[in-house]
Amino acid sequence: MTESPHTEALEVDIAGVRFRNPVIGASGTFGYGLEFAELIDLNRLGGFCTKGLSARPLAGNPPPRIVETHGGMLNAIGLQNVGARSFVEDKLPLIRRYDTRIIANVFGYSDDDYLEAIRMLNDGEGISLYELNISCPNVKEGGIVIGNDERAAARLTEKAKRASTRPLIVKLSPNVADIASIARAIVQAGADALSLINTIVGMAVDINTRKPRLNYGTGGLSGPAIRPIAVRMVYEVAAAVTVPLLGIGGIADTSDALEFLIAGATAVQIGTANYYDPGVTMKVIDGLESYCRERSIDRITSLVGSLVVSGDRAG
Amino acid sequence: MIETLATVIENAEPVRGYRLLTLDYRDDISVAPGQFAMLRSHSSPEPLLRRALAIYRVENHKRVAFLYQVLGRGTQVLGALHPGDRVESLGPLGNSWPVPESGRAVVVAGGIGSASVLMLAQALLRAGIDTRVFFGAANRDAAIGCGLADFEALGVPVTLTTDDGSAGEKGFVTLPLERYLKSASNAGLPVYACGPWPMMARTAEISDRAGARCLVSLEAPMGCGFGVCVGCVFAVKADGPSGYGSYKRVCVDGSIFPASVVDWQVNAMAH
Repeated sequence: MTESPHTEALEVDIAGVRFRNPVIGASGTFGYGLEFAELIDLNRLGGFCTKGLSARPLAGNPPPRIVETHGGMLNAIGLQNVGARSFVEDKLPLIRRYDTRIIANVFGYSDDDYLEAIRMLNDGEGISLYELNISCPNVKEGGIVIGNDERAAARLTEKAKRASTRPLIVKLSPNVADIASIARAIVQAGADALSLINTIVGMAVDINTRKPRLNYGTGGLSGPAIRPIAVRMVYEVAAAVTVPLLGIGGIADTSDALEFLIAGATAVQIGTANYYDPGVTMKVIDGLESYCRERSIDRITSLVGSLVVSGDRAG
Repeated sequence: MIETLATVIENAEPVRGYRLLTLDYRDDISVAPGQFAMLRSHSSPEPLLRRALAIYRVENHKRVAFLYQVLGRGTQVLGALHPGDRVESLGPLGNSWPVPESGRAVVVAGGIGSASVLMLAQALLRAGIDTRVFFGAANRDAAIGCGLADFEALGVPVTLTTDDGSAGEKGFVTLPLERYLKSASNAGLPVYACGPWPMMARTAEISDRAGARCLVSLEAPMGCGFGVCVGCVFAVKADGPSGYGSYKRVCVDGSIFPASVVDWQVNAMAH
């Protein structure tokens, strides 16, 4: 692997952890990383978030679990995963062979579930950070139930931070009235960084059967369709907190990623685009390098929050 | 598994609504019977997700053909491709039909499920297996669209059924299949099936009753095709492995499974 002169320009720091570039695979769309080993050079990737890991393995929801919509898709997977213990024992040793940051996404049905999963993951060598999933819309307990309640979210963040041996990212739900207010409460409770947004709750109906097209009923909308909402929310949260933000929501190319950085994100996570363009993370890394080189930008971090706001924002 | 841009050689429509897409790959492509690829037009931003199409036939070491029915947004965009257009292709994906060393075998094709079993039938013949095909379609045109002539050209017995009786025997393909399975000793006989969910469920049932060994190729809406989205699952029988094993992914755990592991009560193919 040849290091281009501008490689260092892409380095970012999230809660004291150095990433070689700000391009990260989003949880739930990147499996356990290994699935991409044949498709991309994992050693070039900034990092990736694992599929949500729970203390015990989860079977997930009955099918159909996904349905395509215009500019995106709905999913209601239901956090099918191998469990934190199996992840540490079976997956982690294989992923450690690659030089990329591993962010373990953590899920639970209750506070104690989350803490149990974190303690299991604390034993795992090679994990750089945790991402607390309090925003999954496809489970009836935990997830979004906590993330949409400011006090519950702050309480869990505080406990998770205490239980964790690693920096803690909290992944925010967009399905709230005031995301900045929840972000503030979570940061006050001890979050080292925030990632946003998780999927937006949506629904699709089969007009022949008159049933929802997903077995679960509702699902999480992802893909390019949600990007403007995500960019707006990153902008709002960036104005409310000082911790690093990881922007997520419909990123499919370099310019999409740059929008998030300019709006205030230190790094980006790429999700749904990995499905239809498995090499998208590599293309975005290349694109960010070119962007910095062409504009003589020494540090990509100088773009973070550089949005130029002119005139009256109201109205 | 290769992620590449392939070039359209031909996108023929022998019968309205059914197409044969021939793609040229820059590099050699090695395909086993029953495998599929995820395809998407390179020039169309919508729909986002690639479509899983069965590899119907290998034309040469760089060229393969996909037989498909134009049904929704994805196949409509594929249907509009012209020679020279480029297609984003990830494949070949999935496991393949196991071919026995000797004996007899039955191939059951329902509708466009035929696309997954032509290469299987070819491989069975090459292996010297005494092969019989049961071929069901909605009507005469659909049977032609689903490649009936290609199966008849193999020179093996082909039993045709159509739902409306416009060709072959009237009724579902499982009717003559059941008669056949009842008529002889079929312990351990491989029965390979691909088609609509109820057809495969029924094939599994009558094969089991006859002591035959039914294998099915499942289909489900797929997000990625390489195992990460966990969208294309089917339910594993309750008396099978529990916990994490309750659902299996069609794309990387299959798409070919012993029919005995599938919980046929939960239709994974509903779109």
